[in-house]
Amino acid sequence: MAAMSPIRRQLVVPTAASAHPGDGPVTIDPADPSDATASRWGTTVGRLGPPDTEGRRVAEIVVDGWRYEFTVEDADRAALRERASRDRGGAGRVGGRLEIRAIIPGRIAAVAVTPGDEVAAGQTLLAVEAMKMQNELRAPRAGVVGRVAAAVGTTVEVGALLLVLE
Amino acid sequence: MTSVARPLDDPSLRKDDRPPPFPRILVANRGEIALRVIRTCRDLGIETVAVYSDADVDAAHVAAADTAVRLGPAPAVESYLRIDAIIDAALVTGALAIHPGYGFLSERASFVRAVTEAGLTFIGPSAESIDALGDKLGARRTVSAVGVPVVPGTFEPAPLDRPDALEGIVANADAIGFPLLIKAAAGGGGRGMRLIASPQEMPAALVAASSEARAAFGDGSVYLERLIHPARHIEVQLLGDLAGDVVALGERDCSVQRRHQKLVEESPAPGLSVDERDALHDMAIRAARAAGLANAATAEFLFDQDRRFWFLEVNARLQVEHGVTELVTDLDLVAEQLWIAAGEPLSPAVRDAADRARHPGRHAIEIRLAAEDPARDFAPVPGRIGRWVMPAGPGVRVDTAIAEGERIPPDYDPMIAKVMTVGRDRRTALQRMRRALDEIVVTGVQTTLPFDRVLVRHRAFVDATGLSTDWVPDHWDGPGSRAASYATAAAIAATSTGNANAEARLAAPAPPSLRKDEPVHGDWRSAGRRAATDRWPR
Repeated sequence: MAAMSPIRRQLVVPTAASAHPGDGPVTIDPADPSDATASRWGTTVGRLGPPDTEGRRVAEIVVDGWRYEFTVEDADRAALRERASRDRGGAGRVGGRLEIRAIIPGRIAAVAVTPGDEVAAGQTLLAVEAMKMQNELRAPRAGVVGRVAAAVGTTVEVGALLLVLE
Repeated sequence: MTSVARPLDDPSLRKDDRPPPFPRILVANRGEIALRVIRTCRDLGIETVAVYSDADVDAAHVAAADTAVRLGPAPAVESYLRIDAIIDAALVTGALAIHPGYGFLSERASFVRAVTEAGLTFIGPSAESIDALGDKLGARRTVSAVGVPVVPGTFEPAPLDRPDALEGIVANADAIGFPLLIKAAAGGGGRGMRLIASPQEMPAALVAASSEARAAFGDGSVYLERLIHPARHIEVQLLGDLAGDVVALGERDCSVQRRHQKLVEESPAPGLSVDERDALHDMAIRAARAAGLANAATAEFLFDQDRRFWFLEVNARLQVEHGVTELVTDLDLVAEQLWIAAGEPLSPAVRDAADRARHPGRHAIEIRLAAEDPARDFAPVPGRIGRWVMPAGPGVRVDTAIAEGERIPPDYDPMIAKVMTVGRDRRTALQRMRRALDEIVVTGVQTTLPFDRVLVRHRAFVDATGLSTDWVPDHWDGPGSRAASYATAAAIAATSTGNANAEARLAAPAPPSLRKDEPVHGDWRSAGRRAATDRWPR
């Protein structure tokens, strides 16, 4: 359906699994020539998912070797949905609570903290072993360790909850 | 000579009346190196036995071998590091020799002894020379004894088992000077290595390095070494026969690294004078002779700003980057390893190549493509490959065992391909590398390709003046490079999903993103070719 209408503004949001710090939602108007001249050498569309029930599609794009995964949705429709979710009270983020999730899959090699520990920014929280490397996960800010969901020796996938910083 | 095609009378293969050096061998490795060894075996008429873990049932090296034997579950300690299972597999299948590849058991003297005691031939240096050279501490002792300069540091393992010994370790460290490196005696590839700036960091770093070393190599011994900095990393390819004859087949510059692991290798090392090259090759040969080295090995050196070489270590095995030397010398190093293991002396072709390596007439470059995110400090990103297109054409060689749709297991090394180019000089090889990298299409996982594309166009690499083990921190801004492509990617995502006419918008190409420097040479690209390769896959 969206594919049939030639010119609609699109809201492009990085997927949770692929987002890097600083990646933000972008609204693109395909009718605007400054947005539409984007294609160039070294550009690949890897995968284009079918629309979900909300009309969103996942697109994998590779530009100059950089791989991005976006959820793409009709911008007007996204605005409507956003308003509806705000009216319901919105889930949103709990103030001050920070969930630390796995950015690579691997095995939990060590957990350096227990619930109730006060940690400083940059302090090592745990280590994930992947591809023979120990990857240390550090606290992005100071806080108190809430829940520790990761257990030493277990295998985690990308996005798995490891621990909560209150 | 720029062609990679090998002449029919290739001296390494020696396709005369003689039977192959072994009727059947087992390849105790996985991935591209297992496949690469199997290929040479097929060239020589040797039957091959592959081994595999549960993660590699459908792997290319299993399909390529004549026979394959399961070792165990995915973790390497339960499969590719199981000496008993590998030797059983060889005995059961009637293999007479074992090629270890690189990594895993390739430099484990206990493995070499077990292979020999089972009545099999180990294709590599003897257990004695691995003890003397493969172990970094042993190498430091052996090599300094014959007058080759070694990096200042300790010569015995740090006594970590005695908590009271910490003071002694710190005193040693003070004598060496900070910053210094804690290194694994059994190490390689940067694992079990920590850079420390002050004595306060020592206890934690010692424990971390030792546990990483034990996990990776089964040996937690670590020692201290001064940080030679800034420096280039230059290594010498060695080949020796069972009679004790050793030659140097040229050197490779492997300065561009991250986490002490190589990203790019080239041969010859740019900018060495004839005298420096001669001295380097001679030092490497002296080190190898001191340890009674046979078969293939590599002596690694640091080259500091005062143009002094410091011995680092010997890797008593085939290196990941051996293909670069093969492209320059026209030898098949795996074939030479097999002939040497079977008792043959170094061939006239090898001696010839060693002579020519002192005045190299060709240049080759290798890029290691890895499933890593260069915007997140090259963190490994295992996953499933989507599309997979590797380069080809004049002067290009690709060693890989990956195919479209294949899963990259989190259990092993993240390297997925080695892309090599060769030409009459560095400029030609680099031109071909730029073109080769442009041909690569990989989806499904993030790779190091964005870094590689910037590197081969960056003035500090192109003119070779910026070669240093600090190249990455000095010149690479991963998040910045990624951010520069973000808006483009978002726009393509929007037009490809929201607009049926998106395909028509594939308009004029623009140059790839660069950070600090302008492209040195014009990029080879054409709109017509791009349009043909970059279709929307609907």
